[in-house]
Amino acid sequence: MDALIFLLILATLVAMWRGKRRLAGMLFAVALVAVVLLFRHHATDTLPISL
Amino acid sequence: MTLFRLCIAITCILATCAVLLGALWAQYGLGEFPCPLCIIQRMGMMLAALGPAWLLCRAARGPVDAHDFAQCYACSILAAVVGGTVSGRQVLIHIAPGDPGYGSPVLGLHLYTWAFIVFVVVVAASAVQMLFLPRRAESHRVGVGARLSVVLLGSIIAVNAVAVFVESGFHWYLPDNPTSNRLLDELRGETPTNDETSNP
Repeated sequence: MDALIFLLILATLVAMWRGKRRLAGMLFAVALVAVVLLFRHHATDTLPISL
Repeated sequence: MTLFRLCIAITCILATCAVLLGALWAQYGLGEFPCPLCIIQRMGMMLAALGPAWLLCRAARGPVDAHDFAQCYACSILAAVVGGTVSGRQVLIHIAPGDPGYGSPVLGLHLYTWAFIVFVVVVAASAVQMLFLPRRAESHRVGVGARLSVVLLGSIIAVNAVAVFVESGFHWYLPDNPTSNRLLDELRGETPTNDETSNP
């Protein structure tokens, strides 16, 4: 999963380099959402603090 | 695009590349395996660096106006907010007294604390850039230095893709506390020794 997201970010950079604005914007948005979902998957531990 | 704005964009990319190279050095030089949250913070930094990189790519193809600037730096701010949330959470995980933290500290702070500082700086720097948007379209010749900075960023992203694949092997997710490269373990026929339970 992580490697795929890195490849997605790389594809975004390539789209930017080639001047594909719409594609680059879409890939950026997809990559950002993927990062948020990956974080949501890993953020399952309770914080060790007592307030 | 004035030379000053061009230099600022290149500096933003190179600064992010320096931080990402530092993380790779900690991984391979110090032998510290990055946890899933560390990897997500790297992704956030890369996405934040895509903002100025996009600006340089647009400037290489013609004049850039205020809308281009705003769009590119807005992307950086969005990515920095996501990355800052992740690093902030990791700081909170280890905030309890007596918690040794994850990994070795660098200059007194752990890498995720440095990452949080970097994300705050990215938001602030992008906001300052957007305060001084050009009133009309600007054009400037994008030189080799700008192109090389974008290529460097692309190379670091590619290296990270390979590094994380070696670390995770043929698994969807990294373990919470990785202690070895799963792909190499699996190729050698060894059982991975990663601790799946402790906090990253």
